[in-house]
Amino acid sequence: MKNPFTNRWRRWINKRVPRSDLQAFSQRNIFILPTGAGLVFGLLLVVMLLTGINYQNSLIYLSTFLLGALFVGAMHQTHRNLSGLELALVQSGEGFAGDDIPFRFRLKAGREGGVAILLSSEDSELAPVHVVSGQALDVTLPVHSAYRGYLRPDRVRIETRFPFGLLKAWSWIRPVSVGVAFPRPVPAPEALSTVDDGDEAAEASSVEGNDHADIRPWREGDLSQRVLWKRFARTGQMVVADWEGEQGSPYWLDFNAYPGADHELRLSYLAFLVKERGESGAQFGLYLPGQVIEPDSGPAHMARCLRVLATWGQERPRDTSAEPHGTRKKQKGRKFQRPVEEQT
Amino acid sequence: MSLLDRQRNTDKSGDKAINLPSRALLWLICSFALLLTPQWDRLPLWLIAVCALLASWRWLAQYGKVRLPGRILKTGVMVSLIGVYLATFQGGFSVDTAASFFVVAVGLKWLETRSVRDFYVLFFILVYLATVNFLFHQEILWALVNFTGVAFLLVGLQVLNAPDLPGGMTPIWRRLGAMFLKTIPIVVLLFVFFPRMSPLWSVPLVTGEARTGISDTMKPGDISNLAQSSERAFRATFGGEMPAYRDRYWKGLFLDYLDGETWRQGQQEGARPLGRVAVDGGIGQLEPDQYDVLLEPTDQRWAFALEGSRAVSDNVFEDSPDLFRFRRPADSPVRYRMAREGGALASDPQHPADLQRYLQLPRDGNPRARQLALELRRTMGDESIVRTLLERFREQEYFYTLRPPAMPDNGIDSLLFDEKRGFCAHYAGATTFVLRAAGIPARVVVGYQGGEKGAGGDYLIVRQYDAHAWVEAYIDGLGWIRIDPTAAIAPERIESGLRDAVAEEGSFLENDWASPQRYADVALVQWASLQFDRINYQWQRWVVGYQGQSQMDLMSRLPGGFGMRELGYLTAGIVGIGLLIAGLVSAFQMRRGERYDGFRRVVETWHRLCASAGVPVRHGETPSVLASRLAQAEPAAADSARLFARMVNSHYYSAGKEVGGSEQLKRMRRLLATMKRQVQRSRTRTGNASD
Repeated sequence: MKNPFTNRWRRWINKRVPRSDLQAFSQRNIFILPTGAGLVFGLLLVVMLLTGINYQNSLIYLSTFLLGALFVGAMHQTHRNLSGLELALVQSGEGFAGDDIPFRFRLKAGREGGVAILLSSEDSELAPVHVVSGQALDVTLPVHSAYRGYLRPDRVRIETRFPFGLLKAWSWIRPVSVGVAFPRPVPAPEALSTVDDGDEAAEASSVEGNDHADIRPWREGDLSQRVLWKRFARTGQMVVADWEGEQGSPYWLDFNAYPGADHELRLSYLAFLVKERGESGAQFGLYLPGQVIEPDSGPAHMARCLRVLATWGQERPRDTSAEPHGTRKKQKGRKFQRPVEEQT
Repeated sequence: MSLLDRQRNTDKSGDKAINLPSRALLWLICSFALLLTPQWDRLPLWLIAVCALLASWRWLAQYGKVRLPGRILKTGVMVSLIGVYLATFQGGFSVDTAASFFVVAVGLKWLETRSVRDFYVLFFILVYLATVNFLFHQEILWALVNFTGVAFLLVGLQVLNAPDLPGGMTPIWRRLGAMFLKTIPIVVLLFVFFPRMSPLWSVPLVTGEARTGISDTMKPGDISNLAQSSERAFRATFGGEMPAYRDRYWKGLFLDYLDGETWRQGQQEGARPLGRVAVDGGIGQLEPDQYDVLLEPTDQRWAFALEGSRAVSDNVFEDSPDLFRFRRPADSPVRYRMAREGGALASDPQHPADLQRYLQLPRDGNPRARQLALELRRTMGDESIVRTLLERFREQEYFYTLRPPAMPDNGIDSLLFDEKRGFCAHYAGATTFVLRAAGIPARVVVGYQGGEKGAGGDYLIVRQYDAHAWVEAYIDGLGWIRIDPTAAIAPERIESGLRDAVAEEGSFLENDWASPQRYADVALVQWASLQFDRINYQWQRWVVGYQGQSQMDLMSRLPGGFGMRELGYLTAGIVGIGLLIAGLVSAFQMRRGERYDGFRRVVETWHRLCASAGVPVRHGETPSVLASRLAQAEPAAADSARLFARMVNSHYYSAGKEVGGSEQLKRMRRLLATMKRQVQRSRTRTGNASD
């Protein structure tokens, strides 16, 4: 897209860092380069060597070689600091769009610990953490969500510059699991439900031509859409089709109750109501085109509703298990993946 | 770089930008203090004080006690410091003044150390400060100070990069130590084999700085001042026997022109050529008649040699008979090699015209000395005059003293006839005066006499208090002969040194409290000081003095005839191989680390078991799914498989504390064994059934 080289680079990296919720870092996928300071340090070594040559000073030679060798040693040190670590996405977070959504990672050290490990995604960065050898550490990385829907940081970068900051070694984890950003709650106006209360009508999605409709005269406050205009044309009477149980069901939160509003806004209204009702412990059901959640109460129900609101009309990100074939054998330690959260 | 900093700091002026970890900063400050110490004798006091002030300013700012200066104040400080610097250092541009200016710059940098980037800038310039220090001091102790300073810097960097690392400083130092130990072999190889090129361009190291040592003029009191210093002048190693104490006359230069009270060189030395002295005179094993001299920097061109020597190494040449010179002033320690030839003075007959200048005397002054000379001349020949004069010194009440009285008018007269107390310079001057007045060509020789054996007795240490002045006279038929009036007055001085000669007076190093030589009668001090000198000497000979010539010499002894080009290849090879080995080692460690991850191994075994049971692992499959598939395939192992899967899950997804317990691992292994048995049993059963 941007330029062929970037694409190619990206592909090359993606091959080395396949999508997985668990990434073990080794030579295969650790990248290491000098930092800016490291480059200046290299320059300094050259200047020192020139000084040594010019003044025929053995000790300057000696210190140049010593610092140069330490630089190479630091390279291994920095690399080893990262390799052997395992980073797993333990829990992908949920939250309201616009907030930072926490993704919980577990950093597990191998035989050697990791010092000053930095985790970062595109726009957030954590303070460096240390993990002692043989132990694990949970860190929570906030990922900023702009829109409702599935949320997944494309790449989470793990980096270390220890010990001297002259070199940086880094790699990525490209999580499979997705987090969810709920629609941002927006206080909803009073609304009507279009959903039938009865069990058998739960799937009702058709609106027009329904026999159950009671017909009554138009009165102040009825929406103009509800007016049966055909009949008006025929008879000149403004009548309104009143669906059964229309007002009698405070349980139902209905997507169709906000005609005229943008879809996203409707979802935001619903999110607000779900949140409000869920917190007050009330019973409620959720009606979305194509998806109905039976009335219930409790935090689990609320979460489920919010999740459905978040992902309504969206596809899960592709590439959830995209991996070139034939790489399985080489991939030690990443045969298990976190079970994809089963959603109904 | 400072320009960039300034631009960035303008928008967030004030002290908000200071967010460096205090401990890291402290290490940097410690290192700065340490790296300034080798410069203390070179730098003016105010400069050191200013550096201390600037560093403490930064330190106080760290704790919010003061604010770092704003742009205007900072510029003010900078301009005024540079102004003072320019006013004080009037000398022209040289490495010395440049180094001092560099120190000023380092000091100023403290005021704008706000961000991590500034920290690195400071790190780099402090590393370079250590480099600059090596230009001026190469003794082992100073080298250690420098390397320690650099180690502090590296520790500071580690603290900067992991400020809240648990465990305090121990792991940091241990890590640095381990890295250091691992790099030593490659550093040594590089040091030995890296080709020593000749300088690309040359800048004189020091110009016009006073150093302790012999100068090219001699006023009567001069050498007795020098006698109060125990600084080392040079060291010498002999291929064969060391000469006896009384024969250790190290000639430096002749003073043949008497100007009032002061002896000078009659022929001024030519303008000093720019550039550096060749410091390396090492060429192979010492022959029995050869000796190596390692001269401390003098900033002069003269080299000291025993009487009757010839130059062997090519960094030194014979300027006039028996006097040796370097091509350039010795501004750093110089090693040169000489050979002794029989020990006789150059005795070629000289043309009377050439001798004329050794008869020069001032027009008037010291009438009694002249009178004495005339009386001697009237009755005796050259040789008897000399003998009589020495007898006079031996028999009359002349004293050798470091506390001679002031003899302002007609000094030679009052020395010879009234006071009769003086130091070698007095007697040498007086003797030359009388000989010249008697018509015998004579000259004052300045150099050193004596030298203490170093630890192990295999080399000599000659110190400033061994400075000596004596006389050479030209006698027809004999040529130049050495006459040492001091030997007649105080034979101990010549036989065993100044300490014994002034033992009664107690004036040996009376102003130098700190010198270990002063306490040489304490055996331990003497021993320690000599041991230390030996270490230092070896350091200077083999490490500091390891330069082109020594390298070629060493290489020539290796098989294969190494030249410069081969050395280059070899160095490249060493670097390459070193990197390769390091890479292999770390790869090996990594693999071992993997193999020892018990958990992963158990899981892999399980996968193999599943595969052998006809349930190969699918990609992205969770342990539970795999377990249920296995349960379908092998109902006998269903329970254990599910349990196992749960354990795997809990390993990955339980809270951190429970992870990776060895107890759990053991249980998993047991479970796996059970599962294997179950699978096998059921398979044999089905196998039987199908038969």
